[in-house]
Formats: sequence, structure tokens, C-alpha cells
Amino acid sequence: MNKMSIISSIVLIISVVSIIYALIFNPADWVIYGISIVFIPLGVLSFGLIIMAKAREEEKEDRRKEPFIGY
Amino acid sequence: MNLMANILLNVLIAFLIGSLLLGLYRKVVARVQTRPGPPIIQYLLHLLKFYIKESSFTKTAAMPFYLGIASIMMVIWITAVIVGPVVQGSLLIIFAVYALHKIVEHNAGSSSGSPYGKLSCVRAVYSAAAEVPLFSVLVIIYLKTGSMGIADIINYQAVHGPLLYSIPLAAAMFFVLIVSKAQYTPFSITKGKDIVSGYETEHYGLLRGYLMISESIMWYMLLWVFLTVFLGALGPLWLLIGMVVMTVGIAFISATSPLLNPNHSVVLQIIFAAIGIIGSILLMNVI
Repeated sequence: MNKMSIISSIVLIISVVSIIYALIFNPADWVIYGISIVFIPLGVLSFGLIIMAKAREEEKEDRRKEPFIGY
Repeated sequence: MNLMANILLNVLIAFLIGSLLLGLYRKVVARVQTRPGPPIIQYLLHLLKFYIKESSFTKTAAMPFYLGIASIMMVIWITAVIVGPVVQGSLLIIFAVYALHKIVEHNAGSSSGSPYGKLSCVRAVYSAAAEVPLFSVLVIIYLKTGSMGIADIINYQAVHGPLLYSIPLAAAMFFVLIVSKAQYTPFSITKGKDIVSGYETEHYGLLRGYLMISESIMWYMLLWVFLTVFLGALGPLWLLIGMVVMTVGIAFISATSPLLNPNHSVVLQIIFAAIGIIGSILLMNVI
């Protein structure tokens, strides 16, 4: 796992745990607002970073070397 | 209902309905232009496709700002959902959300390093002048109802009838603001076709999907605020009908009007604001 996947997994776990905590224990309103505003976006982003398609190891170098022919 | 569950439910509703409305928007624009157009669910499918697509980040991107700004866009619109449908708090916070959205447009454009993004960034700063109508709408609503609280405004309308009838020019100004946030309308200069996708040009793959999720929540919230502030508390069915009618109307405007250049767009919005402010004050003194 690369650095981004590890960080994304940790952030996703923290986000999910926080949201579940707020759902079950119903803390003070300001805590719930904080959890919603911070951890819903972070959870969605980190989940996306984990599940997004990734290049295979053998393809990575080819992609980097391929000349840009877009123009 | 548990507050957290309430927030999650409202965010999910905003996302799903918002993305379907944006799909409807594209469909109507296409039909008006005698094209078959994509299915209504296309925006949602597109968004999900981007969300799982392989992404790469440009060398010129200013990290971690490039990633962070996409998160900030979702943060502000989730805040709007909490302040709006969940707690019916102050309109001032909704105004702050609009202002922050302008900053997101600006910074998303500048953080990517793309010339198109940078041009969009400049336009975002430039078009901030066109937010004058929003200031005016808030002042007029306050003068009329004596409150900035959405709950108070709903209660006022329950007694005195919809604000749409008593301050129609303020409603028209707010409508212009919504039009400016829709794609390919005369006022949406930050995402004009001439600069590819504007500030989103270099946000592709996962980040584009992430921005599209925020945009669907934004579209739902723009319509929700308009309908609630100018028509009062509506049931879910009437709210949905209102949103569909407004989306179709704005799609007609988009399909049949030209894309203005930034100068004309901003000047026109300021003229609308001037007419709206003076007209509303005159109307409030007459009625």
C-alpha cells in the first residue's frame, strides 16, 4: 500500500467511527455539527481515494514515459 | 429523530434529488435544442463513473490545496444543508456559504496550475461584484420580515402569505443568482464553454466526481432556499414540484440564451440588482 492509501484508510476509519459514535451516543449538538461538517466530506474523499481504479505496477512506468500526443 | 441521522438523511436526499435535477436540466436543454439528450439519470451515472475512475494529479497542482479545496466545497454545502432543512437557522450563514463558494471557484482554479483554471479564477473574483443582488435580497427580506432566521421567515409567511407576492423583485434577484450558478447560462462565466470546464478543468477522475457530488447538493440547496424563503414551508411533494419547475425554467433560459462575456454578464447582474433594490424599496412603501 502506498502512502496515500494508508492515510485514506485511516481517515475513512476515523470518519466512520465518528459518525457511528454520533448516531449511537447522540452527543451535544455542536459536536454532531462538527462531525458532520468535517467527517462526512473527509469520509467521502478518503473512500473515493481507496476505491478508485489504480494502474498496475508494470503499467506505471510506461504511462510516465508515454509522450503526450494530446495536441 | 436523532440529529446525526437527520443530517445524514438530508445530505443524502440533497445529493440524490440534486443530481437527478441536474440530469433533468441537461435533458431539457437538449430537448429545447432538438437533440435527444442524455437520460435524466446520466448526471448521477457520470458522477459515479468519475468517482471510481483512475486519477492522476497534475505536476503543476498546488498540493495539498488542490485536494483540500474540493473538500471545502463539500464542507460548505453540507453546512448549508444543516443550516437549511435540518435546523432552519440564519440566512446569514447561507449567505456566507455562497460567498465561500465563490472562494472555492477562485481557489480551485488557481490551485490546479491550468491556464483555463486560472482564467476561471480571475472570473470568479470579477463576478463577485455580481453577488450584490444577494446582499440586497437579504436586506429586503430583513426589512420586510424583521428577521434573518429561516424559521421566523417561514412563520411570517404562514401569517402574511408568501414573500414572493410582497417582494417579487427580491425573488427575481435571487432567481438571477441561481441562474448564475447553473451551467451554460448567460451569467455562469466561471464555467463558460470558452474555458473548457473553468475551475474544474484540471480536477478530473475522483476529484471531478467529488466536486459533482457537492454541486448536486448545491443545486438542491439553492432551490430549497428560494422556495422556502419566498413561498414558505412546503411539503415534500410541493417542494419537489417547485424544484422541477424551477430547474426546467432555468434550463429553458440556458438553452435559448447566449453565453455573455464576463463584462456584459457582471454589468447585467448589477443592473438587475439596481432595479431590484430600488423597485423593492418603492414597493415596500406602496404595499
